[in-house]
Formats: sequence, C-alpha cells, structure tokens
Amino acid sequence: MKLLHKKLLGLLSIVLLIPGYKAFSQDAQKGTLSIAIGYYNENNQIPYVKAKVKTKVDGRFKTVAGIPLKLYLNKDSAGNLIAQVVTNDKGEAAAIIPASLKSQWGAGPSHSFVATFDGNKKYDAATGDVTVGKAKIEIDTTSDRKIIATVYEMKDTAWKPVKGVDVIVAIKRMDADLNVNETATFSTDSTGKASADFKRDSLAGDANGNITLVAKVEDNDQFGNLSIQKTVPWGAKFVPVNTFDRRTLFATRDKAPIWLILMATSIIVVVWGILIGLVVNLFKIKKLGQEA
Amino acid sequence: MENLQSLESEKIIQDLLPQKFGRKGKIFIGVLLAFCLVGLFAYYRQLRYGLVVTSMRDYVSWGIYISNFVFFVAISLVGSLITAVFRLANVEWSKPLTRIAEIIAVAAIIFASLIIIVDMGSPERFYNLFLYGRIQSPIMWDVIVITTYFFISLLLLYYPLLPDIKILLRFKEKSGKGLHKLYKFLGSYWKESPKQIKLSDKAINILCITIIPVAFSIHTVTSWLFATTYRPGWDSTNFGAYFISGAFLVGAGSVVVAMYIFRKAYNLENYITPKHFEKMGRIVVLLALLYLYFNINEYLVPAFKMKKSEEAHLLGLFTGDYAPLFWFAILTGMIIPIIILLFKKGRKPVPVFVAGIMVVVGAWFKRYLIVTPTMLHPFMPMYNVPESYHHYFPSWEEWAIALGSLAGTMLVITILGRIFPIIPIQETLNEQHETAA
Repeated sequence: MKLLHKKLLGLLSIVLLIPGYKAFSQDAQKGTLSIAIGYYNENNQIPYVKAKVKTKVDGRFKTVAGIPLKLYLNKDSAGNLIAQVVTNDKGEAAAIIPASLKSQWGAGPSHSFVATFDGNKKYDAATGDVTVGKAKIEIDTTSDRKIIATVYEMKDTAWKPVKGVDVIVAIKRMDADLNVNETATFSTDSTGKASADFKRDSLAGDANGNITLVAKVEDNDQFGNLSIQKTVPWGAKFVPVNTFDRRTLFATRDKAPIWLILMATSIIVVVWGILIGLVVNLFKIKKLGQEA
Repeated sequence: MENLQSLESEKIIQDLLPQKFGRKGKIFIGVLLAFCLVGLFAYYRQLRYGLVVTSMRDYVSWGIYISNFVFFVAISLVGSLITAVFRLANVEWSKPLTRIAEIIAVAAIIFASLIIIVDMGSPERFYNLFLYGRIQSPIMWDVIVITTYFFISLLLLYYPLLPDIKILLRFKEKSGKGLHKLYKFLGSYWKESPKQIKLSDKAINILCITIIPVAFSIHTVTSWLFATTYRPGWDSTNFGAYFISGAFLVGAGSVVVAMYIFRKAYNLENYITPKHFEKMGRIVVLLALLYLYFNINEYLVPAFKMKKSEEAHLLGLFTGDYAPLFWFAILTGMIIPIIILLFKKGRKPVPVFVAGIMVVVGAWFKRYLIVTPTMLHPFMPMYNVPESYHHYFPSWEEWAIALGSLAGTMLVITILGRIFPIIPIQETLNEQHETAA
C-alpha cells in the first residue's frame, strides 16, 4: 500500500510539473525582434519615420505584424513621444513628427529617432534607433530637357549644398520608377547638384502630355530618405481609346455589332420563315382534306 | 425486314396500335410520377426559400441543373441523327426507329427548357430575357436555337404521324373516347390523297434538311456557353465538335435503350429485330470511338502542357477528388461500350441494351464533370470565402429536381408511346407491300 501511495505521489508530481515546465519552456522560446527605423522627407513637407520589425525564423528574417511600438524623437521620454503605433501586415508602422515636437525638431541640425517595444508573451523587449541630419532636395529643369537635383543639408542654421550624395533621377510610372536615361544614379558635385539628361521622348504622359519626374536619395546613412517630384509636359499626349460607345460584342444590347445583328436576324428570318411555311403547308393539307 | 413478308397488313396494324399499360406499365408510370412529385415539392421549396436551398454558392453557380440541361440538349440531338440524317441518306432499316428518336428528342428538349428555368433564382423574371436580352450573348443564342429546335422537332413528329392517325381513327373502340377525340383533332383531315401526300413528303424533306444545321447549332451554342468564358477546362476551341460528338453518342445510346424497352413492353420483336440492334450497335461503337477521340484531344493536350493555372483542375480530374467519377464516366460511357460493341456477339439485343445504358449513365456523369470541377478552379484563387464554397455536392432538393426532370422526360416518352404508334404503321405497311411485291 505504501508503495502504491509513493507511486501515486510520484505520478501526481509529474502531472503537476508538466504545466510548469511547459510555461518555462514557452519563456525560453520567446523570439527576438529587430527594429529598423527609416526617416523620410517627401517633397520637403512634414517628415515622417517608419519602423520595420523583423524576427528570425528558421534562419530567415520574417516581418512581424501586430507589434506595438513607441516612437520617440532624440530620447525615450514621455515628452519626446512621436506616436504609439502597431505594425501592419508588412511589419511596418509609420508616424509623422507631430507639431507638439516642433521646438525639439528645430533645436539642432541632426536628430535621433528611437523605437521601443516593451515585450509580450511571444517576444522579448527590443529597441531600435537611427540618427539623421536634416537635409532637403530640390529639383529643377532646363529648356533643353536637363533635370537638376540639388541636395542641401542643415549646418548651424543655414542650408548648405552637399557633395557626393547619390541621387536617383527618374520618371514616376504606375508600378515603378523609370530611369530618365541609361544611368540610374547621379552623384552631386561641390554645388550639391546632380544633373541628368532626359532621353525618353516618346514616353506616354497624361492627356496633356504631363509626366512626373522624381529625384530621390534612398537609405542614405547621413540623411535617410529624401524625395521630390516635379511635373513637366515632356511626355506624349495620351489619347484614350474608349470603346464604351462603340458597337462591340461586349457592349449593351443597343450597341450590338451590325454584322451580328444582320447575321442573327437573317438566320432567324430564314429558319422561321421555313417553319411558318411548313405550318401554312399544314393548313393547305387540311384544306385539301376538307375538299375531298 | 424479311419478317414483314410473312405478316398480313391487318396483323401489322394490330401489332403496332398503341397498347394500354399493363400492370408493369402502371407501376412504371407510378414510380415516375412519384419522382416527379418529389421533384415538384423540392422546386416549391426552392421557390419559397430561394436558391439557398441548393448547394450552389458564389463559385459553383452552375451545378447539377446545368449538367442536366447539357445532358438533355445532348439527347435531343438524336432526332436529327436517326430521323433526318438516316432519312436523307435513304437508310431503310432505320424507319422503325424514327418515331422513337423523335419522341425522345421532343421530351428531352422540353425538359432542357424547363431545367434552365429551374436554375434561375427568380423565374418570374424570365420574360426579361426577351425584353432586355443581348443578341451578343451566347445565352440568348441558346434560347433562340432551343425554341427553334423544339418547334422543328414537334413538326417532324407530327407530319409523319398524319397517315398513322388516319389508321388510328378506324379503331375508336380500342383507342377509347378521349384518345379518339385527340386523334380526330390532330388528323381527321388526312385523306391520303396524292396531293396531300406530295405536300407532306415535301414538308418532311424540308424539315429533315432544316433540322440538321439547327441541331448542330443547338449543341454548338450550348458548348459556347462554356467555351466563350475563360476558365480552366472550358477555354477550348475543340468544344463545339466535342459536344456534338458526345451528343450523337448519348442520343444513339438512348435510342438503343428505348427500342429495347418498347420492344419488350409492346412485343415488337417482329419489327425491332436483332438486325436493328446489330446496326445500332455499330453506330454506337463508331460514335463512342469518335467521342473518345475528342476526349483524348480535350484532356491529353492540356495535360501535356499542364499550365500552372489549369493544373489543379486537371489533376483534380485525373487523380484528385473527381478522379473516381472521371474514370467511371470514361470507362462506362466509352471504353466498356466500345469493347462490348466491337464484337459481333456484343451487338445482340441484350448486350447492346446494356451498352446503351452504360453510355447514357456515363454521359450524365460526363456532363457533370464538364460543368462543376471547372467552377471550383477559377483562375483567380478563392480567397477569404467560407470553407463550404470550396466544395460542391448537390443538396437533396437539387437531386430531387434533377431526378424529377429525368423521370419527367421518361414519363413524356412513355405517354407519347402510349398515345401514338411507337413504330410508324403506314411506313411499315408500305414496306411490307414493297417487299411482298
């Protein structure tokens, strides 16, 4: 009996230990997140920051959705909070720099951005940060279809041209940007300018022949992401082909193709003409029978 | 028909007059009526609660009803084969089979039209098809050709009946009051004068010529309902010919079944002889080989390419969920009948009858396989839909309506076989006179 009690006690201990072990093992399996922050300034308007959250699964990075993040300017204190955000399906979350941080933003030529994650049941707490210098980009065109992009950085309290920045000069299309010529990237000279010749003469534009040029600096260690656009009438005028009012096989009933109407009507008239003739023939047979 | 030489005219007439149903006939009619009534009740439920009582959902919007429709249209094509093609080609032996073929054609086309209305969620809006129909739509073409074919089939049934009605009118007591009145209404004016015969023969010839292109159109247009849409399994230029060859096969199969049953039920052994089964057996095997050829084209070529977008559909048929049904339809509908009928022993009445049943059953499942699996494999993947949308199995209402319509077709064939001589009497008499002379 004593032995039986011992055995039961042992079994009970194992049963009770299993959930504890499971909970422990879950803690041990918590994932690690990496947070990357990007700074964006488009058309020299209100800048924004975008955080991207990834984790390593089976040796490969995978984006993580639904992660709550706090974004700060310069340091992670309540007064410097940019926004609280949650990552989307692509593992990304973005926020503009709010007006409440205007004084901090204007205080110096460079700033840091900090993203923090407090941790949850699946992932450990994580932080990410990036430091960028204030910069802007401008775009101009000449009559001989040359595009000039100029990059400036804030030094002390004035904008100064920057040399040696890689600038992409392109044309904005529906899915991706198209190079203006055979070169994709241009470097700025000592005046901060990068110039590119436009060599896409027959490119389709909108109804007025307008196309959108874009100059951008991407993932620059010093300035982040800058971009600017300009609309120019350098494209070919797009004349839409509208079949809405034409006679087509897929149009409304009153817009059926003439050939189809003629063909269908003639077949119907011929076949039903024959059939009506045959019905009339029956009446003739009937009449003959009555006469007989 | 060497048997005819030994038979007296009066005996032929007595043999071929429509006969009252015996006990078995009444039971058969009762069973068919029961199926029809259950089908009607199921349709009442569908009208009351809407198409939600079916298993058709967003993806499979053409289910068992449309399969049935294609099957009926296919069977109806037999009218043009046996009656028109054989008559124009002077195929003498086919004469006793012409009325069976025409009756099947009329019955099938009636139910093809009805089942399309059953497939509509709001049949009370059917008239809108005529008010607002687009001539560009193959559905509109189908409505036109079905109506035309129905009308031609009726005329082709009616014209050759006139001489027989004259004979039927002589047997008032045997027919009974009601039928006698009907015969009187339909053909009392037929006096068999040379002028009447001339007009009638001319009309029958015109009908035989007209029905062939219309019959081809009806089934080609039905195939276009599928082939003009861009879907795996339907996107084929082969579909018109594929459908027509299949229709001729199932039509011939149904005639074989009907001639065996009528022969047994009405003791017509002297008129529908083993020679007819031998000849029809040869026709069925030829048509089965032709249809098999089109099937090989229809499946082997896409399978060889195995385009990514069609892969799920094709593998579903060959080795997936639909494989048992697919191979059943191929084996039962083509391969086994071909094996049976290729041999002389297989072209005796019983094996031909068995092969005919296999062809018809296989053909029904083949139509189901043409319609449904394609709808479950759209080019754009199904996304964010309930699990039930990924599968289709007809609800009991759909089964009841489909079986009811099949029973209805058989009922119409049986009733027409009760009212009118199933073998043309006058033509048989003419043939007897010719062979005797």
